[in-house]
Amino acid sequence: MSILTSGEFWAFVGVMAGIYTLLTLGLQVQFGLAGLLNFGQVGFMAIGAYTMAILVVKAGWSMWLAAPLALLAAALAGVLVGLPTLRLRGDYFAIVTIAFSEIIRYVATNEDSLTGGSQGTINLSGAGAAAQYDGSWQRFQQWLGGALHIGSKDVVMLIVVWAVAVVLLAATAAAARTPWGRVLRAIREDEEAAASLGKHVFGYRLQALALGAALAGLAGCFYAWQFSFFSPDDFQPLTTFFAWMILILGGVGRVWAVPVGAAVFGFLFAATRFFDFPPFSYLDSADRAYVRLIIIGLVIIGLIVFRPQGLLGRRDEMVLE
Amino acid sequence: MSALLEARDVCKSFGGVHAVHHASLRVEAGSITALIGPNGAGKSTLFNCISGFIRPDEGHIELGGKRIDRSPPHKILHAGLGRTFQTARAFTRMTVLDNVRLAAPSHPGEQIPTLLTRVGASRRREREVTEQAHELLRLVRLDTHADALSGTLSGGQRKLLDLARILMASPRLILLDEPMAGVNPALREDILVHILDLRRERGIAFLIVEHDLGFVMQASDRVVVMNEGRVLMDGTPDEVRTDARVIDAYLGTRA
Repeated sequence: MSILTSGEFWAFVGVMAGIYTLLTLGLQVQFGLAGLLNFGQVGFMAIGAYTMAILVVKAGWSMWLAAPLALLAAALAGVLVGLPTLRLRGDYFAIVTIAFSEIIRYVATNEDSLTGGSQGTINLSGAGAAAQYDGSWQRFQQWLGGALHIGSKDVVMLIVVWAVAVVLLAATAAAARTPWGRVLRAIREDEEAAASLGKHVFGYRLQALALGAALAGLAGCFYAWQFSFFSPDDFQPLTTFFAWMILILGGVGRVWAVPVGAAVFGFLFAATRFFDFPPFSYLDSADRAYVRLIIIGLVIIGLIVFRPQGLLGRRDEMVLE
Repeated sequence: MSALLEARDVCKSFGGVHAVHHASLRVEAGSITALIGPNGAGKSTLFNCISGFIRPDEGHIELGGKRIDRSPPHKILHAGLGRTFQTARAFTRMTVLDNVRLAAPSHPGEQIPTLLTRVGASRRREREVTEQAHELLRLVRLDTHADALSGTLSGGQRKLLDLARILMASPRLILLDEPMAGVNPALREDILVHILDLRRERGIAFLIVEHDLGFVMQASDRVVVMNEGRVLMDGTPDEVRTDARVIDAYLGTRA
């Protein structure tokens, strides 16, 4: 059990929780504020990560320029997905988004010359040369670690991810309280009534979708920097549903519930890894990985039954009148 | 003089049913026009066509000389035509005050670019809007509920909230869909007085669907009667009251 007491390990869990916070914050903007059922959030995350890596490796851009462009690319993808589909009813829109994220993953798997294909980003500059997109990030981490007198790269990453997350959480919470956020909340409740009061429902939804997609793109960049390598397999639909679990765990409609949900989810996900006592010890480690998901599923079901509003949410957000 | 609202030969069918069949009506600026008729006469469908929620199959609708029958609802509101719904449509998870503030026109705080670049203007507008919203809530006697979630209001109170909300948007013409349904008699009198005041003081025109004939006859300048998707007649309250076809189709006995 020594790994459980390792600071490195928990720093890693914290970094992942931070990345999931950014990803889920995007869903909170889209669903919590505007009522959009986006089941393809991981697709925008993939677009962010790949755009950044491709621009650095193939176009030779500075990472500091490539990253903002990656967010823009994810937002633009949101607009492109939204333009033909946002007029659909909520459930149909949800189906389109999940298809979108799978299309992105399949394109990334098969367009070897653009994305490195199934071998991932190491193959970005072709066979034989191991491509690296995070040189600038490594140098930045080293510099920051030196300035803060922190030796561990994971701890530096932890600080950076959460600093960014806190700023964006605060910005989102502030935006939700503006007249702009008020319009989104109205649209979420009753789009016809909002339209009858002069609000351009389609335009607002498109904005929410694009902003949430940009947040997913940012999560993708951090994911890419954290692992120094990624492949299309990192962007399975399951990731989107982890983000949804976090949203439900924390509470729909409450911005600050997102990091709480992400921390609880990250802890559950990490802690269940160490269930090596009976009855779990009767299973081999591969089976235990599935038991982990079963346990998390049971926690979510229990939560929906006993506390549908999530840990921090308001009950009237989830329960029908 | 040309009318503020002019709908000509509006048709809308659902499947084989002619919900509205070559219906025409006009509303003069600053007037109160009632639209009456039995259930299923096509009143609500015509309302939805005029306010942009349903695109008519045929016909021509103009507001102040500008064609609106191909415009979406939010553009129609910006053109000066607002509406309420038959069942009140309060945003139940928002406060009563926010419901009304939401309807404010040209609010820089509602657009991201102006929200970020014109912070001062957004704040000033929000203060202005808050003050106006409180005034409107006093008008409909909901000022003491301003900070409550509108989901806690009764059905009749939600009707009043709808009215305050659409007044906030300050259109030139308001379509009211059964404003009296579910509102207690004391408040009905109030609403009638408000509508007459708004017409007199601000020159707002109203097109009202209402089954309360006492109200209709008392308030309206013109009454349009619909039956089976068609406009049966259009006249002053007195003319309508004594028209044999209207009595047959709707009134039943001489009112």
